[in-house]
This record gives sequence, structure tokens and C-alpha cells, in this order.
Amino acid sequence: MRVVTGVVGNDIHVVANRLIEISLKERDFEVFNLGVNTYLEEFIDAVIETDADVLLISSLNGEAEGWSRDLLFLKGRFDLDGVLFAIGGNLSVGEASQEDIIPKYKAYGYDLVFHQVDLNEGLDKIEETLKKGKQ
Amino acid sequence: MFQTERNIITNTPYTDSFDFDEIKDFIKGASKNLFISHHFKNSKKISVQPRGGFPTYDKVFELYGEFVRAGVDVLPLTIDSNTRLNDYEMAKKMLALSEETDENLLNGYPLITHGYRATRKMVTHYNTPISLRHGTPDARLLVEVALASGIFEIEGGPITYLLPYSKNFPLDKAFLYWKYVEKICAEYSTLNEPINRESFGPLSATLQPPAIVIVIQLLEMLLSLEEGVKSFSVSFSQTGSMSQDIVSSNVIKKLARKYADIFGHNDTQIHLVYHQWMGAFPRDKEFSDSLINTSTVIASMVRADKMITKTRDEAFGIPTPQVNASAVRNTQYTLNMLKGIPVITDKEEEENLTSMVDDIMEAVFNDPADTLWRQVFNSIKKGIIDIPFSPHIINAGEAITVRDRNYNIRFYERGNIPISDRCLEFERSKIDLKGMSLVENIIHDIGIML
Repeated sequence: MRVVTGVVGNDIHVVANRLIEISLKERDFEVFNLGVNTYLEEFIDAVIETDADVLLISSLNGEAEGWSRDLLFLKGRFDLDGVLFAIGGNLSVGEASQEDIIPKYKAYGYDLVFHQVDLNEGLDKIEETLKKGKQ
Repeated sequence: MFQTERNIITNTPYTDSFDFDEIKDFIKGASKNLFISHHFKNSKKISVQPRGGFPTYDKVFELYGEFVRAGVDVLPLTIDSNTRLNDYEMAKKMLALSEETDENLLNGYPLITHGYRATRKMVTHYNTPISLRHGTPDARLLVEVALASGIFEIEGGPITYLLPYSKNFPLDKAFLYWKYVEKICAEYSTLNEPINRESFGPLSATLQPPAIVIVIQLLEMLLSLEEGVKSFSVSFSQTGSMSQDIVSSNVIKKLARKYADIFGHNDTQIHLVYHQWMGAFPRDKEFSDSLINTSTVIASMVRADKMITKTRDEAFGIPTPQVNASAVRNTQYTLNMLKGIPVITDKEEEENLTSMVDDIMEAVFNDPADTLWRQVFNSIKKGIIDIPFSPHIINAGEAITVRDRNYNIRFYERGNIPISDRCLEFERSKIDLKGMSLVENIIHDIGIML
């Protein structure tokens, strides 16, 4: 399975990004890590270029929402039906509840949303979803 | 030719106009007390230097007053992030707002905006050596202004100020911009006491393997000496293991001298700087005090020439001048009971570390490029030099480190770093993942001081 990952927007927090990469490799994914400070268009380009099965975007500084608004538009421009879209990390600036966050990000076009969820729990969920076949 | 380049760099509306003849006269006649290189020659104790900088002149002046009353040896001047990224327009705007509102809208002192004429007044008033702390890949104008102000120690380097701080600033440009910095430091060094250059050993401050830290320290030292710098400080930060710090210090001292001499720089003074813990700090301030005290003990054991202090408020943001100064006072107090500590060595560990460093250095020198900076550039591109947890795209990020039972940082994966099988085996023989996943170990190992 191929996965594209990275930190969206003007976010330079690198430690969790490296941990995600190492964890994915431990789970035998082929990882294309775009690193910190990555724009949404770059993620989509990389997914097409690598023919990825999963796009896993992360965010630590909470700015991901602003960067996610164009996702449906970009998904509409390319044939990305087979790709699992997941996002995780701190998904809001300041406090927010799971009940508010998850539907909001699903509406932006993500299949899986992990707001302040343990890394391994999130990756388990991604693997489970891939096994079942997306929807 | 070089002077033409300097005229172009310094001819900008963002700082006061440069009078190079006047600057030369100032440096020629400057008090020896402003030169840390002079201070190192004549001092028998470890110099204590905090970090700190505020947007306005008055607040830095007040901060320095607090530090001097606390018995500081070396003052810091930390530069704001806009200036570091060469956004002088924003620095100017935020300084004006900070002066108007009395709030700190910059995380440091916008030195270029203040200019050298104003800053020099403060520098000569305190008559204490000042160290420039920044994080700037293109520091040409910044260092011109610093030296003209009487700031005679310049921290940083093309690798250590790039790999931990930037995603895509071009590394080749950083080498050339820093070459300029080295050249002006060398030129001014002929006028009075030498200007001291200091490399930034903590790197990304997250599980950095000593072998790579030392290689980068040695290479930045050689690149600096190559341009004529005569006084250089190598540095590293507390690893989390006292014994690993002692081993690192013995090896870095020996190898810095060795490589400087091989390259014909026998007349250079080399110093060691020790950074108190640079990783995540506890939120319990009493734990912080204990951590800082332990750092001070280790700085004595490694016989550092200078130590850079932290404060009990580290976990909460930029400390007040009072809290910052009290860290200096306490560190001096602790140092006072740590005189004449015997030298400790660990032959097996030192041999292992020396062998890893020598192997990597050899691989760098074997690169076919025609100049040292290109050899280093190629080595980083190929992952021969690879630091864990760098945000920069040129860094390979293949090497993985974890702590062993005694909290020593060990290679778990070497990536393309050319350490021998024997050394890798030695490193891995010490590791015990205790039945947890690699990532669980890494998360634990990053947070040991929390």
C-alpha cells in the first residue's frame, strides 16, 4: 500500500511527522513523506504521481481547517475515488469537541478524521478501513 | 571585489548608512572586555551566558542590567524571527508597534532596524562581551551590523542554522552567504582581539546522535577557519546522559584540535560550549531548577569554556528579565562548588565515537568536489550527514536513534551514514526496546525530562 503524508500549511512541527513516517514504515506501507509546510495542491499532485492508496495529512498548529476548504474542489478535478483521505492531529485552534470537528472535516472531503487521537489508534483504523475496502 | 559586495549588501534603507572607516577605527580601539576571545584567554572559570532579546532598545537595556547584577559573563542578543528571515519591513513595522504599545510584538531584537550606531551605545555602556544569537541562513547584513555595533561573537553556520530551522532554503546559497560572514569576521579579527565564531551544536535538539553533532561541528569549524577566523567555539547540548556528555566532550575536544591542525590551522583557539538541556522542559518549576542544576554540574565535568543557561519558565514561553537573571545567579552559585573536578574518561565509548566520526569525515573528504563546502553539500545531499528530526527537504531523514538503558542516544538505523558495521553493532547491542514498538520508544525517549 502506498501512502502520501505530510504536515499541511505553514506548520513546521517536524517531530510527529517523522514518527508518522516511521510508524507507517513499520506497518509495511510504502511512504512518500512530503514533510512539513506542505500545501494541499502538493499533496494532490503527489497522490496522482505516486498512485497512492492513502493520503494522510497531519496538522499540529491547528490551522488545517483553512487549508482544507479546497479539498472537494481538487477531488472533483481528478479521479481520486480509490484514494482514502485521512487527516489527524490538532484540528482546531483552541479547544473543540470531537462532535463538532469530525462532521466538519468529513464535509470537507475526508473519509477519516482523527482529532487528538493516539497515533497507533489512528493507524489501526486506517488499516482496518483499507482492509474492508473503502465504503 | 569583496568590498564592492559589502557596499551593495550594506546599502539599504532598512539600517543606518555604513561608514566602514569609522567602523574599523571603532573595532581597532574597542575595549578588550568586549571580546569573548580575550575573555576565554584570561578566565579560569566557565563563562555563563543566558539567552534573551526584546524588541525595544529600552527593554534590552533593562534586561542587560538585570543580567549584569546577576553576575553574567557573556550577554546574549537574540534576534527576532522576521529579521532572521530577512523580512526587515515587517521587523520595522512590529518594532514601531512595540514602541507605541509597550507590548513585545517581536520575539527578539531587530538589530538591523535599530542600526549599529544606537546599538553600539548599549554595547559599550555595559562593556561586557555580547554573543549574537539568531538562526539566519542569510546573515550577511545582520553580521555586518552586529560587528559594527561591537558584538564580537557570532553564532551559527550554514548547516546548523539551516537543517533545524528551514524546509527549503537552498543549502548551497547558505554556504555562500556564510562564507561572506566568515570573511568579514576574519578581516575584523586582524584589527584587535579575534572575533569568535560559534557553531550551534544542539541542531534540532531531539535525539541527535553525538557522532553527527561532532561531524557537523568539525566541518563548520573548518569552513570558518578556511576563511581566516582565528577563534572558534564548537558546541553541543546536554544529551540526557551524563556519561554520554563526558564521552562527547572528550572526543570533540580531541578531534577539533586534530582536524584544525591537519588543515594547517595550528594558531587557532578552539573552545567548547555546553548548552543546558534543549529538549522539552518539565512544567514543574522545581523539576526545572533541578534539571538546570544538573546541567551545570555536567558543564563542569565536561570542562566547558562557556555554558548557555535555561530558566525555570522554559515550558511556559519567553522568561521575564528577572526570572532569566535569577537562572544566571543560581548557575554561578552552583558553579562555585564545582572547582577542580577530575577528568573522567571511558575508553571503549570514546573509541567507538571517535571511529564513527572519523569514518564520516573520511567519506566527506573523499567526495570528488573541488572545495570543502561542496563536499559537505554533496555529503548532506547523499545522506552521509543526516540529522534526525530535520524539517529540511535536503536532509535524508533515514537515520533513526533511540536511547539505551542509561539514556545514551544510539543509532538504531544508520541510513546512508557511513559508520562501520562494527560500530553499528556496538550501538545496537546497547539498545533494549523493552517489548515496545520503535515509535513508542522514541516518544518516551524524547520526553525523558517531562
